[in-house]
Amino acid sequence: MRAIAFVKSILDPEAPPGAIRFDAGKALGDVPQVLGPYEGNALELAVQIAEASQGEFRAVALGGPEQEAGLRKALALGAAQAMRVDVPSGFHDPLDTARQLKAAADALGGADVYLFGRQAGDWDQGVTAGLFAGLAGLPLVPLVQAAEVAGAGLKVRREIAGGYEEGEIAVPCVLSASNGPGTLLRLPKVKDVMLANRKPIELRAGAQSGAGFRVSDLKASVTSRAGRRIEGDLKAQAEGLAQELRRAIPGIGGGA
Amino acid sequence: MMRVGALVRGDDQSALEVLSLARALGGDAAETYLILAAPAAQHAAAGAARAVVLEGIADADPAQLLAAAQALIGAAPPDVLLIPDGPLFEAVGAQLAGSIDRPAARDVGSVAIEDGRLQIVKGAFGGKAEVTLDAGEGAVLGVRQGAHQADELPQAAPQVLEFAQPAPLLSGRRAVRDASGEDLGRAKVIVSGGRGLGSAEAYRSLREVANLLGGALGASRAAVDEGWASPSQQVGITGQKVAPEVYLAIGISGASQHLSGMSGSKVVIAVNRDDKAPIFAAADVGVVADWQALWPELRRALAGG
Ligand SMILES: Cc1cc2nc3c(=O)[nH]c(=O)nc-3n(C[C@H](O)[C@H](O)[C@H](O)COP(=O)(O)OP(=O)(O)OC[C@H]3O[C@@H](n4cnc5c(N)ncnc54)[C@H](O)[C@@H]3O)c2cc1C
Ligand SMILES: Nc1ncnc2c1ncn2[C@@H]1O[C@H](COP(=O)(O)O)[C@@H](O)[C@H]1O
Repeated sequence: MRAIAFVKSILDPEAPPGAIRFDAGKALGDVPQVLGPYEGNALELAVQIAEASQGEFRAVALGGPEQEAGLRKALALGAAQAMRVDVPSGFHDPLDTARQLKAAADALGGADVYLFGRQAGDWDQGVTAGLFAGLAGLPLVPLVQAAEVAGAGLKVRREIAGGYEEGEIAVPCVLSASNGPGTLLRLPKVKDVMLANRKPIELRAGAQSGAGFRVSDLKASVTSRAGRRIEGDLKAQAEGLAQELRRAIPGIGGGA
Repeated sequence: MMRVGALVRGDDQSALEVLSLARALGGDAAETYLILAAPAAQHAAAGAARAVVLEGIADADPAQLLAAAQALIGAAPPDVLLIPDGPLFEAVGAQLAGSIDRPAARDVGSVAIEDGRLQIVKGAFGGKAEVTLDAGEGAVLGVRQGAHQADELPQAAPQVLEFAQPAPLLSGRRAVRDASGEDLGRAKVIVSGGRGLGSAEAYRSLREVANLLGGALGASRAAVDEGWASPSQQVGITGQKVAPEVYLAIGISGASQHLSGMSGSKVVIAVNRDDKAPIFAAADVGVVADWQALWPELRRALAGG
């Protein structure tokens, strides 16, 4: 099988609060660019599907040079090709993103399985996989927790309310990956990381489209609580905490 | 004039909020659509113009919901289509948008139409920021639950469309209930554990805390990735949004994506060994301690009273 993983890199979502500033419609900060965590789940599925079917996978990102982080990681994990659709960094209309990712995938010869993350950690859109499937007229399996090659198709597990559902789907199809032990991204070998740094990333000129969503304002949202600390040694802390819990939850513990 | 529509399932609170918003934006001309569980539920149609009856709607198969949504929308989709953010949007929202060549957004808080252009405000960067988007002349929007008031809606029997229900997305499908059995949505007390617990065994020790407190067991994304908790226990922007009386976060750093899911809790208590962990700025009560060391003491204190 042939798979394509769409790998977006974002400002490290684990950066401490305040490390990313929001100014004039842009997110700024001295924070490293990393492959997004759900994109990591999508990439892991691509590796698994390529391995199990003795096929191959490719990786595509749309954006500026900051997108190298994820593409290099894909190369280190065995991607046959990595392509960046060159558009300015920053917010990009999601429908246009899906359209351009589709054009890039077609230019790479298409695939049996198109893998997306359920949500990128910058604009929290969670729509690109669906838009892509809708444009391409392909079925979309949302929130995939595991996938296995089964004959000419895939056996997938997807999250549903209160549990999961398993079943089979024919290819071509689109999957949006969620997290869990079945999609946990493996670590590349150090040697492969070094080799990947020397491999080429193909550039594809992005189409300029003025249409669609545009950012008119971006500001930090403030949410904080007046945190009170329970001090003292462990015993005092435990007692203070127990007291706090009893106050908040009537009827618990021995003393209530 | 922008044509506004709503796509909802049933008549729960989020459906009523979205139908009300559609009416507020589009007036009486708003086209409202409804997917019904069964004909008996038609009284709940809340002014919907059209309905489709889906068998076994509780199973909410994405392929069947999408076909139903496409049948309801027909050949002339409204410019703005509002859908409650949640399982329905997850299953069909963006794909429906792609199929009618419209952009889409979810986690949308406010929606306004100004000079014929759509303006929306939604969360970004895991809840660290809020972005206002000029969303042009049409879009499919996932409306955040609780962001809009549910008004009294006129009752009218909708036109029920003929609908040939397609096969489900997955063949040979089999649903498996989550073995953890937690019901975070209803829980008054939630005890959540994160990567800081360090092992599956330590995570399991939280079960005892949850039992003592009469609460349910939640988790951060990291604890789910480790396999200590199941995905339906994940609290956060891509997990459950919870609002218990008490939320106890143990060994959770407090990434904005986690906080987005629990910020509606009445009292937040955090235990973390790092006194600089961001969770403390989001907690009412903080305990800087190593969980492994604190737990035996806490057990004693709770039992002793
Ligand atoms: C698009 C997107 C969506 C996301 N959605 C979610 C989501 O829905 N839910 C979610 O939770 N995350 C989500 N995340 C991930 C999020 O950014 C964090 O990676 C995650 O919340 C971290 O989990 P954690 O706090 O358990 O782990 P860590 O950040 O590793 O924190 C562990 C904490 O434990 C403390 N600790 C260590 N040892 C001890 C000890 N012995 N006793 C006490 N404390 C200890 C440490 O000081 C640390 O603060 C999302 C990320 C992205 C980009
Ligand atoms: N610029 C991009 N480059 C590559 N993949 C992308 C891009 N934008 C979105 N995606 C893919 O679509 C998924 C969902 O993104 P979003 O809809 O922005 O939350 C991501 O996890 C990626 O797999």
